[in-house]
Amino acid sequence: MAPSLLRPTTQLSPEAALTLSQQAPTILRSSPSTVSSSALNALFASSEKPELWLQYENLILACLRTGDERSAHQCLERLVARFGPDNERVQALNGLVKEAEAKNNSELEAVLKEYDQILSENDTNIPIAKRRIALLRSMGRLSDAASALVQLLGFSPTDAEAWSELSDVYLSQGLYPQAIYAMEEVLVLAPNAWNVCHPTTAIARDLSPMLMQPVQIHARLGELHYMNATAPGAGSGSYQKSMAEAIKRFSRSIELCDDYLRGYYGLKLVSQRVLRDPGKPPVRSGDSEFALPDRSTIERLNELATAKLSEIVRRSTAQDRGWRGYSEAEIAAARELLSGDASASLAIKR
Amino acid sequence: MAQVPVQTIHRDPQLFYWILFPITIVMILTGVLRHYASVLMASAPKKLDQKTMREQRALLHGINVRSNYHVLSKSSFTARRDALITAYESGDYLKDPDARGQPPPNPMSDPSAMEGMMGMMKNQMAMIIPNTLIMSWINAFFSGYVIMKLPFPLTIKFKSMLQAGVATKDMDPRWMSSISWYFLCIFGLQPIFNFLLGSENAANQMAQQMTQMGPQAGQMFGPGVDPNKQFLAEAENLAVIEHHSVLDGVEQRLLEGIKV
Repeated sequence: MAPSLLRPTTQLSPEAALTLSQQAPTILRSSPSTVSSSALNALFASSEKPELWLQYENLILACLRTGDERSAHQCLERLVARFGPDNERVQALNGLVKEAEAKNNSELEAVLKEYDQILSENDTNIPIAKRRIALLRSMGRLSDAASALVQLLGFSPTDAEAWSELSDVYLSQGLYPQAIYAMEEVLVLAPNAWNVCHPTTAIARDLSPMLMQPVQIHARLGELHYMNATAPGAGSGSYQKSMAEAIKRFSRSIELCDDYLRGYYGLKLVSQRVLRDPGKPPVRSGDSEFALPDRSTIERLNELATAKLSEIVRRSTAQDRGWRGYSEAEIAAARELLSGDASASLAIKR
Repeated sequence: MAQVPVQTIHRDPQLFYWILFPITIVMILTGVLRHYASVLMASAPKKLDQKTMREQRALLHGINVRSNYHVLSKSSFTARRDALITAYESGDYLKDPDARGQPPPNPMSDPSAMEGMMGMMKNQMAMIIPNTLIMSWINAFFSGYVIMKLPFPLTIKFKSMLQAGVATKDMDPRWMSSISWYFLCIFGLQPIFNFLLGSENAANQMAQQMTQMGPQAGQMFGPGVDPNKQFLAEAENLAVIEHHSVLDGVEQRLLEGIKV
């Protein structure tokens, strides 16, 4: 699928972003530099469309990623000319360009001060608040970013993007239960959304494309629960519960999307781990909690996941029709998991 | 029955240029003008301060939890529900906790509500004034004119619609009076405005009337609604939910549904 400038560019691979930004001079030349909103022109020239401004916005992002700062500035100027420098979105884009051009930490600090200044005048400027959080995060001040996010969510608790970012921040701090809570909020706010990515910080972290792979929310929650269960210091009761919920979440993600590699991968990982764990019989702890399913079910789940994973790996490597589009890295990881499994079972046979 | 002879009325062809045409042009121009007038008069949407935003979004959050509770596990849903209910009932999210329990202020005295009403008044005025003017203009100059003959036959019922202002009993309903042409223009010019001004124009009065009559989406946080009552109602809604989760028995569903 060709990358389109009308869709958010944050999930694009570096190559796709490059092709987009290479179109920038053509697009800038072909569209008029100012759009007049007068009546006469509206009758004769093509009228302005929201798509155009969306295109400029995405073009800025793509150009900044690839270092084409001249085109980014041109796009920004046109947006400023149309919406004025006080528009919240334009302010955020402006800040983004400045962040991208900052050479060292002190320049970033200056941008941060500017954000603080804007926020002190207007404390509901959400785009700027988000930029500030993203900047804090990319400067490594994780706890500041987390508290700023909590403050933002305090007055705007329906912002799924911010919740997802908060979950990610907590995760990088190792606070798994908090990360799970935030991710559950995302699920509550957007139960039908497919992917969890982090648009606010996308620019700051575009060097790690794996992080921006869209992940299904249920699978993501499963991963969080698994990490929570296997983290050192997790109690036995919470271990059982987290593993049980991880299995359920992965199963749900597969239920929603057939042949979802990440779901099967997680399901296999978790079920394998539960099966290998010796001497921990499933405890039934009241019906309010999720309990681990019985052993035979877990075995069947493990078998299913193994079979499906190997099918996906086989067919995707063979480039069968309808089986392309899996990410290379994910396929490689799945192959590794499967081979580890095979060698382990060989060892047992011997 | 004898064939009814076709009525012929000798009209001056100049009628077409001096009545039909001007009325149409004037109607179109007023529509365009009205569009730009309402664009000019429209006030920018008012900025919410942080506390109002918090109040509104906290309520929306509760509604989200209530409608999507099934994605959560039971324990996390109960935790959320308890927290939300406590906060709602204690009035934590209220913009103005001191005004709790007091009767809502008179919407007339609330400046923000006044502004909304002024906006509505302005729109109404932009609609009423030109219509009155044009109507009286047509009445003063062209009343009683028969200006055109429709190219298709019509039944007698259309007489009152098409021959307003021409009080004749026996005239064929195909003949049309000037004031009727005016009404036809009011209702029928929408596609032309769409073409000229884009589809979201403000020239169309019919669309405006529709939105006024239809259910108002903005009513939820409108003036005169007591947020405390909304919060209490929402707390009650949350309290009566009987929880179930999509995760219940999902492994079994998966094992049954997917065959390798």
